[in-house]
Amino acid sequence: MMELIAALLLLLFLSVGFAGAALVDGMLPAFLAGQSRPSWRRPIADAARLLQTQRIRTEAPDALLWFLAPVLYLALAIIGLAVIPFGPGLVTIPSEVGIVVWGSCEALTIVAVFMFGWSANAPLPLIGAYRYVAIALPAMLLSMFVLIGAALPAESLGFTEIVEAQRRVWNVVRQPAGLILFLMLGLAISLRGPFDYADPADLAGGTTADVSGPMVLAWKIARLTMLVSVSAVTATAFLGGYLGPLLPGFVWLLLKTALILVVLVGAGNFFARMPPARMMSVIWTMLLPLSFLMLLAVGVELLLWG
Amino acid sequence: MGLTDLLFLALSAVAILSGWRVFATDSMVRASFLLLLSFVAVGLIIVMLAAPYIGVATVFMMAVEMMVMALFMVMFMMNPAGLNPMMMVHQHRFSIVAGVLAFAGLTAAILFTSFPKIPVDPSTPVVHDLGIELLGPSMLIFETAGVTLLATMIGSVILSSRSGRFGMADQGSRPPGLEPDGEPAGRQPEAGNGHHHHH
Amino acid sequence: MAVSVLSNWAGEAPVAVFVAIGEGMRDRLERLFNDARFVRAASPRHAAIFLIAGRMRLEDREDLRRLHDQMPHPRVTLLWNAEVGEALGDAEVFTGSTLEVDIEASEAGRSDDAVRDRLEKLWQELASGERSSEPDLLHDEPPNSWEGIGPHGQGGQGMMGGTPYGRPMAMTSDDLRDGLALDLYTARFGPFLPMFPPGLLLEMTLQGDVIQSVKVVRPPLSQAGGNDVPAALLRLARLLDVLGLPVLGQRARLAAVGGATSVPLEKLSRAIHWAGATLAIPRGLGAVEGYGDTRTRFANLVSVANGFSPAMWPGLTRSAHLSSILPGLEWSEAMLVLNSFDDETLSTLAAIVEGADEDRDGHDHDSGHMHHDHGGPHDHDRHQGHGGRGSHLGNDYHGRHGGHA
Repeated sequence: MMELIAALLLLLFLSVGFAGAALVDGMLPAFLAGQSRPSWRRPIADAARLLQTQRIRTEAPDALLWFLAPVLYLALAIIGLAVIPFGPGLVTIPSEVGIVVWGSCEALTIVAVFMFGWSANAPLPLIGAYRYVAIALPAMLLSMFVLIGAALPAESLGFTEIVEAQRRVWNVVRQPAGLILFLMLGLAISLRGPFDYADPADLAGGTTADVSGPMVLAWKIARLTMLVSVSAVTATAFLGGYLGPLLPGFVWLLLKTALILVVLVGAGNFFARMPPARMMSVIWTMLLPLSFLMLLAVGVELLLWG
Repeated sequence: MGLTDLLFLALSAVAILSGWRVFATDSMVRASFLLLLSFVAVGLIIVMLAAPYIGVATVFMMAVEMMVMALFMVMFMMNPAGLNPMMMVHQHRFSIVAGVLAFAGLTAAILFTSFPKIPVDPSTPVVHDLGIELLGPSMLIFETAGVTLLATMIGSVILSSRSGRFGMADQGSRPPGLEPDGEPAGRQPEAGNGHHHHH
Repeated sequence: MAVSVLSNWAGEAPVAVFVAIGEGMRDRLERLFNDARFVRAASPRHAAIFLIAGRMRLEDREDLRRLHDQMPHPRVTLLWNAEVGEALGDAEVFTGSTLEVDIEASEAGRSDDAVRDRLEKLWQELASGERSSEPDLLHDEPPNSWEGIGPHGQGGQGMMGGTPYGRPMAMTSDDLRDGLALDLYTARFGPFLPMFPPGLLLEMTLQGDVIQSVKVVRPPLSQAGGNDVPAALLRLARLLDVLGLPVLGQRARLAAVGGATSVPLEKLSRAIHWAGATLAIPRGLGAVEGYGDTRTRFANLVSVANGFSPAMWPGLTRSAHLSSILPGLEWSEAMLVLNSFDDETLSTLAAIVEGADEDRDGHDHDSGHMHHDHGGPHDHDRHQGHGGRGSHLGNDYHGRHGGHA
């Protein structure tokens, strides 16, 4: 019964979150770029235009994988969200290994993006695809260490326990740098700004360079849904998830997710993207050791005072 | 036949079919992804066997591994999307014999093993118990294996990279002498060996 | 009913335009897109209107025709001061004035507004179905017959090599940087790739995303952009786009026009600083004697935004050329380098090198080349009858025969 309610809440969360994400993603960059009054109708109009555009095939693509990639991306975003509790005991897929499920979603997302670029059978999408893999894999590695740091105080891999363990103090206080590292993963996994190595301007759209119309729309929808999911996971792992006074847990989670989402969209437009090799050495030589340090700090703290 | 049985049969069918297609497809990237699909199905079966951590971790690990494998395929075969089809199997006779033997062996092992029939009590903290086991009695084994693997990986990357500690590998990099202006330390390269033709 | 609702919404969408920029039109076009009603599409696949602006070379016409066919339906072409003969069929021609020195700026502005209105009108007609989509210009046929050699059509003996379907199969070769033998992939990129200078057509050999060799096939089309502050700001905007900062790029473009909505330049340069744009460019990238590296060139453009006058560089040394600057760089580094030069310098760097120079660096570049017929269409589609285009943005699959030991 609880699962059914949670599934309904999941639908509600997804639709509200998606609408919000589409609005923020459509209006915030336009506003930052100096437009005085960006229109809320624009995302819908864009979607209508793409729906009416012809779907193009390249020469000898892998049609099945090409079609499946956005579907897989969207499905992973939804599965990732399904292990997040909306309240005590309110989870669509109750799992005691929630963060490993989320980790699998991250890993398979990289597969989905690669599939999308590879199956077009064209040079620029392919370059975008494998470049993305090279950056996203270590970014995912980082996020797992950070999540383990969040799981340590809870002594569990489940998201519900992780939230309950934050009743005393939120994880963001325990490992502030962890939150920043996890936000970087959020940018990578939703293909945004400084971590968008798959669809950037220097590759004329990268993995999307050879798709048109409804396929572009499907890809955008999947990206935005993943943005909602990763924001919700961040809010759950670092900002106490559904915890909060007065309002119901669901609303608290929605508010925290919205906050993270705006931060992610803003950061995606605010920071410059390095060439991949430079980013790679930053991740492996600076960020990865930092995540180890965070993990160590949390462990020592729990040993001494936990 | 309950829902669980149906789910098990469906997942097994996916695992076997995609495992077979690995050898029937004509592109290495497709082969990697089919293998991944097969492993995901197996991982979900393991989840059904009340071992959630091992099952989900299988999916996680295999997604990463197959991705890295597919990436290397593309690096060595940039041929996008398998536009040029390739033969994916070689050494036919040897592989047929090896396959038949492995199948017979595993089947025999399954048929002659008596599996326990005690269902796991749903309230058993399986993940917790597994953690205690991994980081308790078996810790030494796992840590030794892990550190050895890591050292092997780092070592092989360092040995195979062109830019070495004492200069480019193909330009006869030589370590400095033990005393100032002395003979280079370490093994002396044979004459004519140091210059690899590079264009 | 539902369809007409969709059409109404689609008519409200910003007009997605793919632009092929001809001689002297780049800066003007970049100003044209300072308007929320328009988006400049990164790829013809994302666009509904193909805008061809300015004079084109004779040899570019074939690429324009191919680009036209790469666009999804519904599509329409607008020629703006373009001289392309009958290459684009009976596409609509917009005759405005070219931006000559003696024409007043206000008149140019009026002309830009007229183009904007025309583009918007075209999109309205297209979205509502009043105007029918343009048919293909080229036949949809494969450049080579779809037959391979060998039991699996792989085209050669064993696993690698050969030229199945007329496309040379990639073969491994030593890498410039680390000696790891990976596959070579040779293709032509340009002449209207949005992140390339307009008109530049390069034949590049890639290993992964690392450039191994570069040959200039067609130099960039000459642009009117001088060395004044607006030109420098537009150049800065292009670099910001490549750095993944389209928002700041847009602000730089607004500043270049200097309209009422433009932001103070100090604010822009502060934002660029905090975005870490300078740090994102590796030190020593694309260094050219007398011209500094990409980072100094970028810093120079930023200082223009701070109110300093654009720097004057000394003359180029004779040996500097794209074919020696780009190899060894990754794709995105190369894009930064390409966009960091001013027009005059770039055209010197991208001058056509005579065939004799080809062997200078010891590359047996042309010896094993497949030469495809350029005049013909490059692809076909087995399922939809149109749309599938193997060559992307006018590039062409040119591969080198592998296996030169």
